[in-house]
Amino acid sequence: MRDIWKVARWEFMRNVTNKQFIIGLLITPIIMVAFAGLPALLERWNQPAQVTYYVLDEAGVLPVLREGAPDNLTFAVPTDPAEIEQEVRDADAAGYLVVRSDFVETGTVDLVLNEMSSEGRSYIQAVLTQYLQQHRMQHSDLDWEALQYVTAPTKIRVGTLPHVELPVGEEIAVSTVFVLLVFILVFSSGTMLMQSALQEKRDRMAEVVLSSISPGALMQGKILGHFLLGVLQLAFWLILIIPAAVMLLDFPVGEALMKADLGKLAFFGLGAYLLYAALFVGMGATMEDLQSAGNSQGMVIMLPMLSFLFIAPVVSNPNGVVAVLASIFPFTSSVIMIVRSSMVSVPLWQMVLSAGLLVLTAAALAMMSAKIFRVGMLMYGKTASMSEIVKWLRYKEE
Amino acid sequence: MEARALVVDAVNKSFGDKHVVKNVSFQAQAGEILGILGPNGAGKTTTIRMIMGITAPDSGNIIFEMNGTQTRTVPKDLVGYLPEERGLYKEARVMQILLFLASLKNVPRHLAKQRAARWLAKFELEEYANAKVEQLSKGMAQKVQFIAAVLHEPKFIVLDEPFSGLDPVSQDLFKEEIRQLAASGAVVLLSSHQMNIVEELCDRIFLIDHGREVVSGRLADIKERYGNYRVYVDAPLGVDSLMRLPTVAGWEQVSEERWIIFLRDDARLEEFFHQIPLDAGLRELRVIRPSLHDIFVKIATGREIA
Repeated sequence: MRDIWKVARWEFMRNVTNKQFIIGLLITPIIMVAFAGLPALLERWNQPAQVTYYVLDEAGVLPVLREGAPDNLTFAVPTDPAEIEQEVRDADAAGYLVVRSDFVETGTVDLVLNEMSSEGRSYIQAVLTQYLQQHRMQHSDLDWEALQYVTAPTKIRVGTLPHVELPVGEEIAVSTVFVLLVFILVFSSGTMLMQSALQEKRDRMAEVVLSSISPGALMQGKILGHFLLGVLQLAFWLILIIPAAVMLLDFPVGEALMKADLGKLAFFGLGAYLLYAALFVGMGATMEDLQSAGNSQGMVIMLPMLSFLFIAPVVSNPNGVVAVLASIFPFTSSVIMIVRSSMVSVPLWQMVLSAGLLVLTAAALAMMSAKIFRVGMLMYGKTASMSEIVKWLRYKEE
Repeated sequence: MEARALVVDAVNKSFGDKHVVKNVSFQAQAGEILGILGPNGAGKTTTIRMIMGITAPDSGNIIFEMNGTQTRTVPKDLVGYLPEERGLYKEARVMQILLFLASLKNVPRHLAKQRAARWLAKFELEEYANAKVEQLSKGMAQKVQFIAAVLHEPKFIVLDEPFSGLDPVSQDLFKEEIRQLAASGAVVLLSSHQMNIVEELCDRIFLIDHGREVVSGRLADIKERYGNYRVYVDAPLGVDSLMRLPTVAGWEQVSEERWIIFLRDDARLEEFFHQIPLDAGLRELRVIRPSLHDIFVKIATGREIA
């Protein structure tokens, strides 16, 4: 255990003072804010253009058209109806609308466009349809009240049984943030771990270190060291994010944390980290450099992304077959279980099965990785093929 | 008789179906420098890694003896290792690395710091204590690696090709330090392809090829056993009279009047001189004992020494 701690401390100190790490620590929140803010910014830039339609209004619909019109839509009256086309061209308007006096009978208007744009057309159609229906109904023999009764839409009143608690927004928000954090931890620490194993080989230090401590201690020390680095990274970002969330978004962080099942989140988060850490560090030991990673290694690196493939089907049907399977399958269970359990109450057997499989798989992977690591760290000059890795797993050692 | 400090006893190691170390046995005493020699791929590194506890033997024992007690578990704090494939963490600083490696050997930090400073001064590297490894020259880095291998004052030291890439001045410095380590009572196992240095430093050698011991023992004894004399003669009348001598194993004509006469492995020099006829007509005669290099080549390739 002392050896594990020594390696962990070395990995931590070596990286925490590393320029790349510090730059990553500072730049990542900026990138995250940029990505979060970009859609809003784009939305602002993408404000709809001002559109003007001239209206030849013989039916008196102009007030109705103007009443609920969006800010970018203007309905103007031509100064000289005979010169309307010229006026539309001069004003660079979208076109003109002709609503004749027999509109209520014909139900037809003419729209003459100056440019090919559909801006405002659906609004015009909706408003005039409503106007038309009201007028026709009022002038028909039908009973207005009866008609309203017949065409009234259904209203849904939502309630729950006494013991059911519907997920609240805060819980979903905490789970979403937590899933993101777990994913960042797995991905950034996992990649750093793999690079650390690669570096140990590249710098030809593995043999010297292994003459002092066991390969298991070296591997576990690396996993622990990079976990602490990852936690430091997340803590630093959270210190930036939480006050921002409280101040800017008015989000009740404390209240939300109280409502979330932190024990469950921590268990699945840690499980995911350990599983992928074992996998990544073992992979690192099989490679000579990142460029030479073969297809099998590339696939392993992409494995954490698998969870994200399932998020959409799980959110739309959190108790469906896909959601149940993905929340039990150990390579996706952490993320999916956190997402799923924030939306519905997951049956206990599924929770236990998922947790058990996660622990077992992480332990099995750790054992396999230790074997791969033991041999791989002392192999120089090439990236191991899949068949070689299988052979290493069969070597007997002590 | 000196105390045996390291006993390698009938050790075997296979990787899959490849048997790379076959029944290897040798011993080394405290204060001794034992040369471990062998061509590339002979099984040296695997043997060394087993001694260092990096890989475990499939069968056989490796026993460490200290202060009258024996252990089969590698005393990791007491072994020092300079592997052939070696380097240093590129982005780290020299002192940081030395302290980290010393901490793995359980040397208290303040002591490690003192010793590191002393060693760096000895190798004229004190101004590089806080330099990053990438700022060091190859020779400087090699000195730091050497310091890392001995900073914890090990009792069993394995140095694999410690001289490769070193300039002659640094080579002498390393030789002196290695001698002193042995003089302080440590067992030093030295593996090198530079036979002249091995000859200079080692008391005994162990030669391995294809995973098996080929020869081992005191250097002088091995030379006695394998180093048959070569006699260079300048003989205008030819060497017919010499070829018939019972001490002669073979000959080779170098030029019109010059030959190399190979004496039998068991031939004594006095005996050969005594047998030379008075009318042999020799103008010049030189006797050469083959170097360790020649013996190595002869054993490794099975060819006669020229």
